[in-house]
Amino acid sequence: MISISRKYVLYGVTIAIVVILASRFYYLQIYQQDIYKEKSSKNSVRVLTELPVRGNIYDRNGLLIADNRPSFSLYLIPGQTTRHTIKEMVRLFNLDEKKLRQRLRRAGKFQPVKIARAVDPQTLAYIQENAIDLPGVHWQVEPARHYLRKRGFAHVLGTLGEINERELAIFKEYELGDVVGKKGIERAMEQALRGQKGIRYVKVDAMGRVVEQLENKNNRPPYPGKDLYLTIDARLQEYADTLFQGKRGALVAIDVRTGEVLTLLSKPDYDLNAFVGRINAQIWQQLLADTTHPLYARAYQSAYPPGSTYKIVAAVAALNEHIISPEWKAFCPGYFRIGRRVVRCWNAKGHGWLNLTGAIKNSCNVYFYQLGLKIGIDIWNKYSLLFHFGEKTGIELTNENPGLVPSRAYYDKIYGKNGWTRGMLANLAIGQGELLVTPLQLCQFDMMIANRGVFYPPHLTLKLVDQITGEVTPRLVNQRRIDGIRPEVWDVIHTGMHQVVSEGTGRAAHIYGISVAGKTGTAQNPHGKSHAWFMGFAPFENPEIAVVVLVENGGSGGGVAAPIAGRYLRKYFYYQGKFDYRKEWKIIQEIRKRQQERARLDSLKRAPVEAPF
Amino acid sequence: MIDNRYMDKIDVPFLFSALGLILIGLVALYSSSQPVIQGAAGTNYFVLQSIWVSMGLVAMVVAAVFPLRILNNIAYGLFLVALALLLAVLVAGVAGYGAVRWIRIGPLNFQPSEFAKLASILAAAKFLGEGHRDVNRPLDFALASLFFVLPFLLIARQPDLGTALVFGALVLPVFFWAGLKPGNLFLIIMPALTMVASFNFIAFFAVMALLSLYLIITRRPLWMKIFNFVLNVFIGLIMPVLWGHLKDYQKKRILTFLNPEADPLGAGYQVIQSMVAIGSGGLHGKGFLQGSQTQLRFLPEQHTDFIIAVIGEEFGFIGILVVLVLFTILLIRMIRIASLTKSRVNSILVIGMATVIAFHFLVNMGMTVGLMPVTGLPLPFISYGGSALLTNMVFVGLTLNVYRNRFEYF
Repeated sequence: MISISRKYVLYGVTIAIVVILASRFYYLQIYQQDIYKEKSSKNSVRVLTELPVRGNIYDRNGLLIADNRPSFSLYLIPGQTTRHTIKEMVRLFNLDEKKLRQRLRRAGKFQPVKIARAVDPQTLAYIQENAIDLPGVHWQVEPARHYLRKRGFAHVLGTLGEINERELAIFKEYELGDVVGKKGIERAMEQALRGQKGIRYVKVDAMGRVVEQLENKNNRPPYPGKDLYLTIDARLQEYADTLFQGKRGALVAIDVRTGEVLTLLSKPDYDLNAFVGRINAQIWQQLLADTTHPLYARAYQSAYPPGSTYKIVAAVAALNEHIISPEWKAFCPGYFRIGRRVVRCWNAKGHGWLNLTGAIKNSCNVYFYQLGLKIGIDIWNKYSLLFHFGEKTGIELTNENPGLVPSRAYYDKIYGKNGWTRGMLANLAIGQGELLVTPLQLCQFDMMIANRGVFYPPHLTLKLVDQITGEVTPRLVNQRRIDGIRPEVWDVIHTGMHQVVSEGTGRAAHIYGISVAGKTGTAQNPHGKSHAWFMGFAPFENPEIAVVVLVENGGSGGGVAAPIAGRYLRKYFYYQGKFDYRKEWKIIQEIRKRQQERARLDSLKRAPVEAPF
Repeated sequence: MIDNRYMDKIDVPFLFSALGLILIGLVALYSSSQPVIQGAAGTNYFVLQSIWVSMGLVAMVVAAVFPLRILNNIAYGLFLVALALLLAVLVAGVAGYGAVRWIRIGPLNFQPSEFAKLASILAAAKFLGEGHRDVNRPLDFALASLFFVLPFLLIARQPDLGTALVFGALVLPVFFWAGLKPGNLFLIIMPALTMVASFNFIAFFAVMALLSLYLIITRRPLWMKIFNFVLNVFIGLIMPVLWGHLKDYQKKRILTFLNPEADPLGAGYQVIQSMVAIGSGGLHGKGFLQGSQTQLRFLPEQHTDFIIAVIGEEFGFIGILVVLVLFTILLIRMIRIASLTKSRVNSILVIGMATVIAFHFLVNMGMTVGLMPVTGLPLPFISYGGSALLTNMVFVGLTLNVYRNRFEYF
């Protein structure tokens, strides 16, 4: 019926189709099989990284300050998420939806994207209950920082946060989503604290679920970060914090025999726990908008005019350069005339005739105005730099403020040659004017005085301890020395500073049984009330500790800063077993009683005697 | 020894190749139904398909013994019913996969396009089988075309371009078998060529030049020459406009077919994973239940559209060759049966059914290896799916029926 040849045409077409298909399968399965075999194994083999446990942070006595606790992190798997899931996550965690979508797009289809750390139990419970409606959400237990002692520690420890792109360029071995130290010692010691990530080869299904653990020579468990022992004494740090109740400022204390920083307090600060996990945007905005700038570590990031504490620099310069002898005297009538300007001493009645120790003791401005004019800016500048003002102390922390030490060149630049007056120099000699120092720098200077020129770079890390091997890496610090200062100069300065506390402006820092030397400062500034300063060291005979107190806009150094230093030193020596609160209390009671008795007798003397008839 | 009487009644190689493919399909479905994690529950397509196969066997036997004469008598009626059902789908269908393809009758979801395949072929065979019809005559050609064009338009409207194209594909082999002359065949193929060429000006120009040359040398009525020329020019101009009216997923599928790597996680994901599965199978395959692409679910739609990749991965090139050989035997035997059959109607009927199977076979296998765009056509006998399996087994039954009655004239 139908012509035979048509049958063969259809046979031919059928055979042709089969041959084309067969050759294509042959090409893929035989010729290109190696390529596809590799692709296939890559498809299902995944390298999982396991986060190491971050090193703990201890104080110098081994008190635990910060460790790690398990917390829940949330991940989204891009290939499984729905619009509803994303909306819900954005709502729950206050995320930027646009950015989140961008991250999901950039990640692989089954590559988890971390969206939240340290999820609180309520939120996690909510998510687990609604897991069915939230496809693509996965949670995983990960270590998160936990603070056992956080009072006063915010600016020392600093915060952790998710790595940003700038930091990724620095730390090559990190990945997006990793947590790194953002500030403070967490940032400074990042490399030691973080440990090494573990690597694990696993077989996953298309949903990214692990179905099998694979043997691989590159498998390795995570190596925990090293434990960090700080030079800080946690008890003193917390005590210092209580002393700054309602005040702004800083307290720095250094062990002058080692350069170990015992206390580094900056107030105000912030709650470290607010930064565990993703910080709440509202809290963050509040911190940024706060006019007291709680995110600033005042102890080393803010520089202030040092006020009268800086008179010591002028005194050392003048003595050492033979500009004056210790016996050189100046008269203080309560004011001083520089050119056409009249500046007043803080004591309007005047101090009368004073020698150097007397001027230090009474913190006489007029004396130091005159001294400053005698020294001249170049020598003043030379000695300021000699004591390492105007440069960073090199403490481990980042963003340290170097302060500012003006020089002739500086003034020429700012005001033009001959555009500035001697009055400015007079101002510098009493620690005012353009001069700026950080509390930490002043404490370093304090240590140099206490040790008669010997000092150690201030540092916060005592040692690192490997969590597995127990190997200890101590922090080694070289002794340094300020050369060229004659011993007699130190004697005079020491005598003056001793008198400040025993009978001068710093009497409030006096403590029973321990002789303290120090210098007060009341730094005028354009931001309101004067900054109150006190720098001191103790014991006078054989110094152990140098302490600097700054109370921002606190008022007078002797009235506000010195008592804080006194209370701090009492605590320090109490822990050293050299000071007894009860004994001091008894003696104070006795003195009071004696005074009351004397006052009673005086009043009796003065009272009109009633004559018997 | 098999009794000659049976050999005479049943085309054994044909039947066995069909049953062999069904068996292979069940094996592949068993593999792809393995839960990823031991003990986890999931749909067991192996069990479901086994039920469909037993129902299909009944349908096949019924089709094999049903009097062909009666079928012939009700062919036009069936075609009208099919058209009515396709219209009903458009009005009251059930949505699935972004298109409306199903109609619900009681508890059953029913896909009228499957039924329409059979009805169209039956009606076209009846029409072309009548002695006085000549497909080379314009009127007969136009009327015969309606049996395929009408379902094509209705199904394309659902929209289900893949299935609609089956009806387009039927035209050529069926008309060719019915005696279409090579010159006319050329004129039918031309619009399709123009369609593809219309996106490139030079290609379009070359195709039009070829057409013009043929129209000049051939001896045909002038009106027919002009009609063909105008038709092709019109198609060439309208195609780019129609492209703009395609659904996004259809455009994406076509573009992704041209370059699957361009969108490896989106539309190209399926093809890439399928090629990885097939390619990694190598010569012997990874072994039954050992295919990582399949068992770890990297392979999408692995029980339906991409089931051949399961076979390719776990049984390798050898497994693929077995499938190819079985399909070759099946199709060759169907062409042979068509040529042996005395009845013109039945002969065309078998060729129509062979075309449907061949088209699915080509497009499905082609798409899994990146030779064809992803159209969502299942692989006959092997892919999971009740409606399609029933249709294909009815085709087998009818073919056996025709073979049994090959000496009868109708």
